Amino acid sequence: MSKKLNFLMVLVLVLLVSTSAFASWKGTITLWDAPRWGNEDDDKFHWIKDKIAEFEASHPGVKIELVETPWAELGEKLSVAIAGRAWPDIVPVDISGAINRNHLEQGVVEPLDAFMTSEELEDFFPGALQAYTYHDKLYGIPMSMTVHVMLLNLDHFEEAGVEPPVDGRWTWDEFLEKAKALTFDSDGDGVIDKYGFSTYILQGYYEAWPFFYMDGAEPIVDGKFGFNSPEAISAIQKLVDLKLVHGAAPVEMGSSDVGGTFRALAREGERHVAIQPWNTWAIATVTGEGVNHLPNVMVAEYPSGDAGQPVTVGGAGGWVVMHQRDRQKLDVVVEFAKFLSTTEEQYTFATEYGTFPARKSAEALDPFADKPHMARAAQMVGQAVPLPEHPNWAQIDDRIQAELQLIFAGEKTVEQGMNDAAQQVQRLLR
Amino acid sequence: MVNAPFSQDQEVVTMFKRMWKSRSGYLFILPKYILFTIFVLIPIIWSFFVSFQEYRIFGTEWVGLRNFQDAFQDDLFWVAVGNTLRYAAVVMPSTVIIALILATLIHPLRRGAQTFFRASFYLPTVASSVVIAMVWRWIFQTRYGIANYFLGLVGIEPINWLHSSAWALKSVIIMAVLTPPGVGIILYLAAMGSIPEDLYEAARIDGANRFVQWWRITLPLLKPTTLYLMIVSTIGSFQVFDQVMLMTQGGPGYATTTIVHRIYNVAFRDFQFGYAGAMSMLLFVAIITLAFVQSKLVSSDVEFKG
Repeated sequence: MSKKLNFLMVLVLVLLVSTSAFASWKGTITLWDAPRWGNEDDDKFHWIKDKIAEFEASHPGVKIELVETPWAELGEKLSVAIAGRAWPDIVPVDISGAINRNHLEQGVVEPLDAFMTSEELEDFFPGALQAYTYHDKLYGIPMSMTVHVMLLNLDHFEEAGVEPPVDGRWTWDEFLEKAKALTFDSDGDGVIDKYGFSTYILQGYYEAWPFFYMDGAEPIVDGKFGFNSPEAISAIQKLVDLKLVHGAAPVEMGSSDVGGTFRALAREGERHVAIQPWNTWAIATVTGEGVNHLPNVMVAEYPSGDAGQPVTVGGAGGWVVMHQRDRQKLDVVVEFAKFLSTTEEQYTFATEYGTFPARKSAEALDPFADKPHMARAAQMVGQAVPLPEHPNWAQIDDRIQAELQLIFAGEKTVEQGMNDAAQQVQRLLR
Repeated sequence: MVNAPFSQDQEVVTMFKRMWKSRSGYLFILPKYILFTIFVLIPIIWSFFVSFQEYRIFGTEWVGLRNFQDAFQDDLFWVAVGNTLRYAAVVMPSTVIIALILATLIHPLRRGAQTFFRASFYLPTVASSVVIAMVWRWIFQTRYGIANYFLGLVGIEPINWLHSSAWALKSVIIMAVLTPPGVGIILYLAAMGSIPEDLYEAARIDGANRFVQWWRITLPLLKPTTLYLMIVSTIGSFQVFDQVMLMTQGGPGYATTTIVHRIYNVAFRDFQFGYAGAMSMLLFVAIITLAFVQSKLVSSDVEFKG
């Protein structure tokens, strides 16, 4: 009897094992990733390669193919891949650029709500989840959060004899006065060659935008264009006047020259601007080694305007799982995405890559204990406002930014530019 | 009449026989033709069909001529058309004229000098347009650019070349005009070399000076080359994209947005492939029409008789 029972148990066991073996998916997952931080061999993909090896070892039969893609090419490459229905399985993007609301509505991205427990979701900061949520569905696993901050070259402040803002906080009037005082002729040839402030205006980039929010405006309010409101006009006008009336910014301010703007702040031999707003990735660059190292740098908030509180524009990074026909494969792909976004990995990203964790548990590990600039920037996460959600956001953004470029070039007044934008945007909002 | 089908069959058989005889030639062009089919012909046909659809990732919808109507009602499309026409109106003739002038200056030189200049002027053609655009970005840089440096030497205020509506398109045009037309020079030199010397001898005997020889003999006999270069240059000018993308990204505002730049944004940023396809078809028709008009205006039968 016992022999028969034993045989039966073994049979059941074999059946169970074989069934589960058939149920677990085997095959290739395609992952696109972009450079992170380098190791001793300057391999900027070492982190993801290690994670792939770990996952493959624990999932026999699953192979992960890594496609190394520069950040600058990721969006365009993904757009082409989507158009050709040849997308990867996982990609590190947000849902407001190369992946946009139109894609979400067309089902190109997998909603992940069914794969996340309420306990798991509670560990993420609400802002991070919000950045990946559209029409109440979660379309990605947040990995990190970013905000825009003001970077100050303190050597420039010292040269001009200007005190930096106390604890990095200032009102618009204080900011303007300092920007004016930081603008001067440093070599005595009668030509201004040092400026207080600069930034750039370009579709898809929002360094200047927190200024436009500072008097209480928003780009879209109740489905209508909001940047032609009195609050928006006054805020934009203040920044325009800083350049065109007070001369505290170089002529290039408001152009689309991203690289040139950054070099004006940080590049050795080209530095001539004291204050610029940047995404937090720039903190790692200006505090790291190389020609863009600023010996004395400070992280400050955006100035507060009539609304009384400083505002910044925030975003989030994470892993997006693209549409899968094979639902069994989907399970494994999501498992891999979650495997890349654990508390430990987010902590590693914070300490090594310079991003803010999207998980509260990773934040609790105090990743910026020895990184005061990042710690200061982390305090601004609470000031962050998200960009508007709209399927046509890329086009709306394009129209607004094009008008802003003309306004900052002095070719249109603020009212004229924003009213022209309103006409164009209103059609896209319908 | 009764024999007509038979004779057509015969013609087809003869054609295939001729092709079989020349099979080595066809085999030589086959790889190129396969690539052409995959990367040019099929996309053109695809974009023709997609221009009548609202293209979606999963399932498209036939919308007839709506995308074409949208194009005609799109203010940005007309801005792009205007910018492209302004660009082409300057760049197309400049390219041909500069190529002609440079080829005329190089042609009388000794063989070694000719080779040197031919290679020098052809170099930008083989260089990446990205590299050339980056160099021009530096040249036009407001603060450190060499263009403003030279203007400063003669007391002219710095110009905000790439970031003002007044100058951005002009800057892109200046870059295109000042980039040597390597292909044009090579083609003109080849065409000049094939003009029979006895025509010049006869002209000299009749007392024609060098300019008259150039004007009365060289220029008319270069007409086929000029026509070809005009058509190729027109197509290139209407398709201008990479210089704009790299130097100004279509801005400031839409001051340098060209048709292809608009098509690119509509397709790959806005994902409106049907609408982008419609604009591509309109561009295609415009280019074909212009090329046809040019060929009618300039074409002439030129035959060198020995």
